[in-house]
Amino acid sequence: MNELLKKELESIFKDLQVNESQAGRVTLIAKRGQVLAVLRFLKDRGLDHLALLSAVDWIEEKEFELIYILTRYIQDTDDDSGDGRLHLIVKTRISRENPKFETTISIFPNAEPYEREIYELFGIDFDGHPRLTPLFLERKYAIPPFRKDFDTREYVQEVFDKIPFVGDKDK
Amino acid sequence: MDRNQIRKWFKEPAKMANKYSLHAIYFCTGCGIIEVPPVITSRWDAERFGVIPVATPRQANLFLITGYVSVKTLKAIIRTYEQMYEPKFTVGFGSCPVNGGMYWDSYNTIKHLDKYIPIDGWIAGCMPRPEAIFVAVTHLWTLIDKEMANGYVRYRENYNLYRRNQEMALGKLEWPPLYSPDGNREEDTRE
Repeated sequence: MNELLKKELESIFKDLQVNESQAGRVTLIAKRGQVLAVLRFLKDRGLDHLALLSAVDWIEEKEFELIYILTRYIQDTDDDSGDGRLHLIVKTRISRENPKFETTISIFPNAEPYEREIYELFGIDFDGHPRLTPLFLERKYAIPPFRKDFDTREYVQEVFDKIPFVGDKDK
Repeated sequence: MDRNQIRKWFKEPAKMANKYSLHAIYFCTGCGIIEVPPVITSRWDAERFGVIPVATPRQANLFLITGYVSVKTLKAIIRTYEQMYEPKFTVGFGSCPVNGGMYWDSYNTIKHLDKYIPIDGWIAGCMPRPEAIFVAVTHLWTLIDKEMANGYVRYRENYNLYRRNQEMALGKLEWPPLYSPDGNREEDTRE
């Protein structure tokens, strides 16, 4: 990783953990309040592509983890293999009781469908998102289906298995 | 032409013509799309069996559902099936339409497609080889000969039951019933 970027990050943002697990893969563990500032800073430093926004349900710790993966559109090396490419993974934890976070559309416009997806599948609300409407699902679910306490097997037995076969004896 | 079939051709020319010119609409819901291009193009050449892909459901009489069926896809499948003209035949391709396959406990995947539309034949496997489509087509010929490929007749007769199942899975459907309760086609007021 670019040493200069690392130093800058550590000096500007207090209690931001920077771990380089392997070459080119850097994990930043940020506090909830500083995520937007970190993302904006990284965008100014050339990491202008939000490759993925995802979420993890840590049910035992009663927290959701949001994961932003940033990379560059233009590579810094001439190597086409992608080995020298920098991937920055920004992680943050939010509480599970009140799952709310701020939208990042103002920084990365392509976060819009990702946030809609997370809202639909995890039930995390994004403040300032212009349209949190259903994206993939047709049915209503009592618990958003990607949460760990959603019992898929019970749901299937309750809903799809109860639909009867169409046989001649039903006439 | 097979000499034994001459009698059949004179007896029921329409049925024989139907049987040997299946116009297929491929509903590529999932991974089965990978198998379809080699089947319809030069590598396996489905036209040897009289199967040719068409662009729209209104030109088709064979409906091939390749892959898992999510709730959203089911809606599109029902609409596609209802637009096809009779006689129409449906074949479920792969394990997932049969009984859910690896999606047997998924929150959003339909198990047992034959609860919602009638299916004339299944091709099991994950994924079936492209040759399996031809095996299914030859089986379908036999079924058409014996008048056992009668899914569209069953759909007409049990339409209220199929419609009930569709509404159980999808909620209120936004299009009117295709058939009236006595089994006649509704006067078409749809677009």
